[in-house]
Amino acid sequence: MTSLIGQSENIGYSFSEPTSANVKQHSFYPYTDNGGSTLGITGSDFAILAGDTRSTSGYNINSRMVPKVFKIGGDDETGDGAQILLSVVGFAADGNALKEKLDTVVKMYKYQHGKPMSVSACAQRLSTILYEKRFFPYYVHAILAGLDEEGVGALYSYDPVGSYEREQCRAAGAASSLIMPFLDNQVNFKNQYVPGSGEGHALEPVKAEPLPKETVKALVRDAFTSAVERHIEVGDGLQLMIITREGIEEIYHPLKKD
Amino acid sequence: MDHFPGTWGRVGGTKSPNLASLLTSPQPRNDVYGAYDASYLQTSGPKAHTSSPAVTGTSVVGVKFNGGVAIATDNLASYGSLARFSDVKRLRSFGDKAMVGFGGDVSDMQYLDRLLESMDIKENYSAHGNMLNAKNLHTYLAKVFYKRRSEFNPLWNHVLVAGFDGQGEPFLSSADLLGTTFSAPHLATGFGAHLAVPILRRKFPEELPLEEVTQEAAVEALKECMKVLFYRDARSIDKYSIAVITKDGIDLKEDEQIQGQSWAFAERIKGYGAQVV
Amino acid sequence: MDKLVAQYSRPPHQNEMYSEQEQQDLTASVPPLSLKFSLPPVDNHSAFLRAMTDDHSNPSCPIKLAHGTTTLAFRFQGGIIVCTDSRATAGNWIASQTVKKVIPVSRLSRGEDKKSDKPTPGLLGTMAGGAADCQYWLRYLSQQCTLHEIRHKRRITVAAASKILANLTYAYKGYGLSMGTMLAGMTPQEGPALYYIDSDGTRLPGNLFCVGSGQTFAYGVLDAEYKYDLTEEEALNLGRRAILAAMHRDAYSGGFINLYHVKEEGWVHHGFDDMNPIFWKTKLEKGEFSNVTSAL
Repeated sequence: MTSLIGQSENIGYSFSEPTSANVKQHSFYPYTDNGGSTLGITGSDFAILAGDTRSTSGYNINSRMVPKVFKIGGDDETGDGAQILLSVVGFAADGNALKEKLDTVVKMYKYQHGKPMSVSACAQRLSTILYEKRFFPYYVHAILAGLDEEGVGALYSYDPVGSYEREQCRAAGAASSLIMPFLDNQVNFKNQYVPGSGEGHALEPVKAEPLPKETVKALVRDAFTSAVERHIEVGDGLQLMIITREGIEEIYHPLKKD
Repeated sequence: MDHFPGTWGRVGGTKSPNLASLLTSPQPRNDVYGAYDASYLQTSGPKAHTSSPAVTGTSVVGVKFNGGVAIATDNLASYGSLARFSDVKRLRSFGDKAMVGFGGDVSDMQYLDRLLESMDIKENYSAHGNMLNAKNLHTYLAKVFYKRRSEFNPLWNHVLVAGFDGQGEPFLSSADLLGTTFSAPHLATGFGAHLAVPILRRKFPEELPLEEVTQEAAVEALKECMKVLFYRDARSIDKYSIAVITKDGIDLKEDEQIQGQSWAFAERIKGYGAQVV
Repeated sequence: MDKLVAQYSRPPHQNEMYSEQEQQDLTASVPPLSLKFSLPPVDNHSAFLRAMTDDHSNPSCPIKLAHGTTTLAFRFQGGIIVCTDSRATAGNWIASQTVKKVIPVSRLSRGEDKKSDKPTPGLLGTMAGGAADCQYWLRYLSQQCTLHEIRHKRRITVAAASKILANLTYAYKGYGLSMGTMLAGMTPQEGPALYYIDSDGTRLPGNLFCVGSGQTFAYGVLDAEYKYDLTEEEALNLGRRAILAAMHRDAYSGGFINLYHVKEEGWVHHGFDDMNPIFWKTKLEKGEFSNVTSAL
């Protein structure tokens, strides 16, 4: 079994002496945080992925127009014909490398199998791509969106090393802690009760149902305009991609630039 | 396996928990993974490869205008705080329609220059001639940077690439030692990100379409940026290079002198040197 | 002379392109069968990984990974009960309240858990510790179990499956994996079998296990009420009640109660239910949890 990893001599044992701090010769820090936030919500026949377009390093704004949402498996540079969306937030260079790797994989799948990759297959593959760098992780939070075999909106969210889950909605990145509670309440109707259904324990929770597209678009915009007010790394522009059976629609809204 | 709830599911854990450690906060288990070594997180200290550059260049500044891009750097290579080499050209051309402006380590700049030169030669020997535009060049450089950072052997530079993209539109983009890339109508690296970018953003606001930015205005703005940088960046010099890339080719001037300096503002600065209050 | 030639014909730069092999890896649409993980190019890679990801030693570490928490499983006369919470945390942040911590092993098309009364053949694995580690390696185990079925024309035993996983985690000991998992299944050779495997390489057979930060609370309830002769109804309720206690007292546990029963014919899913109404029902109808006032 050890031959699988080829470095059996590096395996530590629990009874070994505590290793003293080794010679300092590394200190190169390979990560940075480029800020920004992303957000995805699904409905019964669509999925929306959105992200702001600000890129930061420290307190500096690098650029006001760096997209975080990408089409995966499209035909050429424009991404026409793609059926899967990916958003990445965190360290932009890792995010770019991840996007290009997944894009290549989905394209190769199409050429080798003669059919486009399903979203569920792509979701599993993205998980293994992230896990291949388990010991030197990609510093990214990824969200994958598309339509499943029944045409229902599908959204998968990931942690940096590839644990994933299909969800109705997910916010990631710098302002995720501001946006996610808002979505819990507005998309999954957490802590909402049917008015007049009773008092105290008799209160009946509102049942979560898929939202119509226009409502979701408004929610996304509200989430970002609010996040911009309270988070310095979010702002400048909102890039929205909506995937439906008709294809992918891309919308851009300006956000506050301060 | 460590069963102390507080440390569960983490890389660390408790080492044979005694009563004291159970009563206080759980200690990370250091016997398997060694002591927690925060030095991996710091960005200064003794380095292996080029992780402390010796001879360095400071800012690079670039602006897009109607029909092209202008880019400028000063001609200084510093050795720490010493202004060591005062005639180092940090703008390099690639083909006849792309420029790279280098900030950061000069030896890595020269290495990249060799790399790009050999690529240019190889391209020119190919049947179709050199077809690589500035956008392709930028993609390539960013990938080299990212590959080297993943090997923990970074090329200690922050570059701007100027020229044209595949559609023949003006192109200006940045790449740094970690492989981070971004693009904007005007960009500056290093100190310039603090001092030059605000000037450029004021002169050429986001709303202003590129068609209304003239070549003269762009060059004038760059000259002003170089002047402001010379005033306030202690690692700069008053000799600079400026390149204007248009459809007609590259107009590179490498021995420019900052004009119209006024140090009047310095007279009001008190508290340094010998002066009578 | 060769040395002299070599000295003057040395290329002006190293090869900055990707090697043939790296390019092949980049374009392969199927993940490599051999386990290839890129390691950070530093002397002590697990120290690097820990510096980046150990949010306990350093709450401001840059990369925060999702962690799972309370899981339990026990054998009784009617099979095995497997029950978990559904919360994943990254530092103090609740990353998710809807994690599926029971992962079916040894069927490759896992699909989504559709509610069905018919038992599904195969093993069940549980997830505590690093969410990605558990998901990835249990998936890897599914692959190995399927291969076993194809090669030997019979389903793998729980003992063999757990040994594959334990060998694997032992091989990666010291690399920084974090997982505490239980494998439950019923095979003709073994009857009901339950194993505990963790990232140190430990592998233990047993009647009853609780794993994760809420384990102590779950053990408290389970040890008080557990008998091998429980009826199916009693066993399901006990599993639910033990997880409920852990969700109530452990901040890292919460969300939904995910309940499974492993029988001779396979496993049956008994619901993924919000803990909140169950908690209030338990309190108001049975008078338990008297530490909480019933007024809202």
